[in-house]
Amino acid sequence: MYALLALGMTVIYGILRLIHFAHGALITIGGFIFYIFFTIFGLPFIAVIGIVIALGGLLGVVLDVIAYRKVVGGPEVSMLITSLGFYIFIENLMKLIATPQPYPFRPPVFLDRVHSDWFITFRTVDLFIIVTSVAIMLLFNLFVKRTKIGMAMIATAESGETARMVGININRIINLAFIIASAIAAITGFMWGAKYGQISYDMGFMAGVKAFVAIVIGGVGSIPGAMLGGMILGMLEMFSVAFLPPGYAGYRDGIVFFVLILILIIRPSGILGEKEVK
Amino acid sequence: MESSCYATEREYQLLRVEGIDVYYGIIPAVRELSLRVERGQIVTLVGANGAGKTTTLKAIMGVLFPRQGTIIHNDDDITRLSANRRVRRGIVLIPEGRHVFSKLSVRDNLTLGAYHRTDREGIRRDKEWIYSLFPVLKERESQMAGTLSGGEQQMLALGRGLMGHPDLLLLDEPSLGLAPIILGEIYEVIREINKSGITILLVEQNISMAMKISEYAYIMETGKVRTEGKSEDVMRRENIMKAYLGE
Repeated sequence: MYALLALGMTVIYGILRLIHFAHGALITIGGFIFYIFFTIFGLPFIAVIGIVIALGGLLGVVLDVIAYRKVVGGPEVSMLITSLGFYIFIENLMKLIATPQPYPFRPPVFLDRVHSDWFITFRTVDLFIIVTSVAIMLLFNLFVKRTKIGMAMIATAESGETARMVGININRIINLAFIIASAIAAITGFMWGAKYGQISYDMGFMAGVKAFVAIVIGGVGSIPGAMLGGMILGMLEMFSVAFLPPGYAGYRDGIVFFVLILILIIRPSGILGEKEVK
Repeated sequence: MESSCYATEREYQLLRVEGIDVYYGIIPAVRELSLRVERGQIVTLVGANGAGKTTTLKAIMGVLFPRQGTIIHNDDDITRLSANRRVRRGIVLIPEGRHVFSKLSVRDNLTLGAYHRTDREGIRRDKEWIYSLFPVLKERESQMAGTLSGGEQQMLALGRGLMGHPDLLLLDEPSLGLAPIILGEIYEVIREINKSGITILLVEQNISMAMKISEYAYIMETGKVRTEGKSEDVMRRENIMKAYLGE
C-alpha cells in the first residue's frame, strides 16, 4: 500500500518537482467513494472499483488544472504550500460532509473471509492488497518502459523544455500523471478501509505523510526507489508489531520515523537516490 | 498555385521573422530582430555570449514567446502556436548542451523524436538513415543516453531531431565542448542533412566553422542584428571579427 502511494507521489514529484500532499486526500476520497457506492447504493464490487478509479482520476485532473497549473514552474515552496493548502481544504470539506465520526467500512464478503488452514492466518483482503499492488506496479513499469507515452513521461520528468522541443504536449502528460497517480491513490483508499475496517475524514493524512517517508527512504525522484521504500516501510511496521512485545505496538509510527532519521543521517539521498550533483 | 520555373520570392522563404522582441521577465533579450531563411539554405546566426542567439531560436521554436513581431513559417503566421504544434509543422530545435533524455536508451530517445508521427514506415526509414549517418548510435542502441560521450550525445540529439522529420532544423551550438575531430564529423553530417533537403538555421560561437558551412549569415550583438549578408562577404568585412571579439 505504501509502495503504491509512494509510486503515485513520485510520478508527480518527478514531473513537476511538486511534493503532492493532497495525494493523501485522494485516499480519503477513494475510501468514501467506495463506501457511498458499495455500502449505501449497493452496486456490484467491480463496478464500484471502476467508479473509484474513474472519479479518483477525474479529481486528479481537476486538482491539476485548478490548483497547480498556475504555480507549476514557480518556486518549489509555493507549489508545496498550494498542495498542503489543498489537502487541508479537502480534509475539512470531508469533515463537513461526512462528520468527524469514523464510518465502519465493510468490504465485500468474499474479501472478508479468514484463512487459517496453513501456518499463517490472513484474510482474503490481505492477499488482494498484495496481488493488486504488485500488479499495478508491474503494469506501471511496463507502461513507462514500453509505451511511447510512458517514455514521454520520463522525458518530461527529466526536462520539460526539451520534451516540448520534440513535440510532446507536456500539459497533457502532466494531466495523465495526475490521473494515474490519483486513481492509484483512490484504490489505495479502498484497500486502507478494507484493511482497517473503518474510514474517516482524516485517514489520508498519516497515509500521505508515510508515503512521503517511503519516498525519502527509497530515494527522492526514483520510481523503483519509491516502490522499495514503500515495501520497506510496510514490512517495518508489520514486523515491529509482530515481533516486539505487545506493549510496544503503539510505537510503530515512532519506529518508522526513527528509521527515517537514521536513513537521513547515513544516506541522505535515500537507498536508490542519486547523489546530489553540484 | 504558380507552377512556372520563376518562383516568387515568397515561395523561397521557409521562415520569416519580423521585428520580434523577446523578454525574460522584464529584461529584454532580443529587440526588433528580423531574419529570413530561404528553403534549402544553411543560414547562420553568430555573435558573442548573451547576444540573444539562443533566445531567438527558442522564440522560433515556440518555447519562448515574443512580445512583439511575427514569425512566419511556410507563409503561415505561427507566432502564437505552441511548441508541440510547431514540431508537427516541421520545426525542430536541437538545444545547446545536447539535452538528450539521459534515463532513456538511445533507441527510446530516437523513438521520442518521432513522438507526433504515425507513419511507421517513414519512422523506420528515418531511423535507418540516422543509423547510417551515425553508425556509433546503432552500436549503442540499448545503452542509456546518459552514459554516452559528449560527441555521441550530440549525435543522438541530432538524430532525435531528425526523427521529427523537420523541414527546418534549428541547431544551437553543435560544436560546444566537442573535440576537433568529432567537430569535423558533426559538421560533415550537418552538410549531408542539408543536402537531403532540410533547411538549417545554425547558431554558433565557432565563427569560422559556421561561416564555412553556411550561405548566409547574421551577426547579432546585444539582442539585435548588427550586420547580415552572404557568409563570405560578411567574413571578409574586417569589423566582424572585431564585433565578435568585442574589440
